[in-house]
Amino acid sequence: MSVFELLKEYIETGRIKLDKSKYEGKKITIHDPCNYHRKSFMSFGQHFLDECRWVTAQCCPEIVEMEPHGMNGLCCGAGGGAWASPYVQERIDYGKWKADQIKATGTDLICAPCHNCRDQIMKSLTKEFDIPQRTYYIWELVSDCVIMEPWSEEEVKKSHEERDKQYERDDIDLDEEY
Amino acid sequence: MEALDLTKRPKSKLALKPEWADVCFTCGTCASGCPVTGVDGWDPRKAVRAALLGLEQELVDSRWPWICTICGRCEYMCPQGVNLMALIRYARTLRERDKVPGVLHKGVAMCLERGNNLGIPETDYLFLLADLSKEMEEGTVETEHGEEYPPYPGFYCPVDKEGANIIVTINSKEPMGEPEDMMFWWRIFYAAKESWTVPKQNWEGVLWGLFTGDDDALKEQCRRIIENARKVGAKTILYPE
Repeated sequence: MSVFELLKEYIETGRIKLDKSKYEGKKITIHDPCNYHRKSFMSFGQHFLDECRWVTAQCCPEIVEMEPHGMNGLCCGAGGGAWASPYVQERIDYGKWKADQIKATGTDLICAPCHNCRDQIMKSLTKEFDIPQRTYYIWELVSDCVIMEPWSEEEVKKSHEERDKQYERDDIDLDEEY
Repeated sequence: MEALDLTKRPKSKLALKPEWADVCFTCGTCASGCPVTGVDGWDPRKAVRAALLGLEQELVDSRWPWICTICGRCEYMCPQGVNLMALIRYARTLRERDKVPGVLHKGVAMCLERGNNLGIPETDYLFLLADLSKEMEEGTVETEHGEEYPPYPGFYCPVDKEGANIIVTINSKEPMGEPEDMMFWWRIFYAAKESWTVPKQNWEGVLWGLFTGDDDALKEQCRRIIENARKVGAKTILYPE
């Protein structure tokens, strides 16, 4: 199951509730990871562009698109293993396409729904090309907006029992010096 | 430069199927839309020509198939449906394993041997999850951006929990360097009261065999993810990569 489908299901069915004031007045742009959309569509006939925008809009409704985006969107420059490859300058040069796109949107935030793309944009392109926006995973946006309701005493008790059983099975003792 | 005699064209090691190269009309749509066209003098169209004309070793020995991120824009737009991604990935397959650039193949070998790309030992991993769980339950998490989070009474990270609804793979960079980032999902699961778990072993979600063109490794890594799900009876695999 993709992260988009699960997040959408949680929000749609009311299993999680979001505090919409968290990013009020902010604008966001969305980076479309190649694997989730274009390549998923070409391999399995399904992309998640609409789900991604729907979930993002639940947290931050003002979306400004990059051009091009979606199925014709540009790679962040670190795909296909390039994030871990030794050709660093080539990865950064490639990423300039993305950095220029991001800056042109003039938003406050960037949604990057993939570990690899997020690292390239947040940890590399931001400083190489002075990107002013802060980058978020899509699940980070949702997580930051989720309204926390503490579990009931009964639920906590049951969870502690399960936890203790697991820690006993796995020989975990947090009080022990590690 | 010597002219190629196309009547004596050797069988290409790279153009394995007609749709990998033969069907190309050489229109150059792929090269026009590619962000790394021109790097080291290569582009997607040239890669296809090299594969077809028996010059594939030049492509295999070049850096280009590794600078290309296999983003698939070229293939998506190709009017002839050339399987450019399969072609370029196979150029990586043809690279000798000890000449795969950087740490990618070492990560694959490490993952096959120890269950994750970075070789994090099981005891460290389990202790880390328990320790972070405690911080989250008590509300004593220190984050990079200075956010403050409340306590989450009753929270812990379930490992190989029998009958969990969702099993989640882990990106090894998180336990290694950004452990607090795992809590984004944990907070969502807490609020949703989801029945979820992470695997005890072979939990890696970053399958570098995909990138190094190593089908055997990739198949084994996928097999392990499915095996972990079956072991606990999870109906859904969440794969946040």
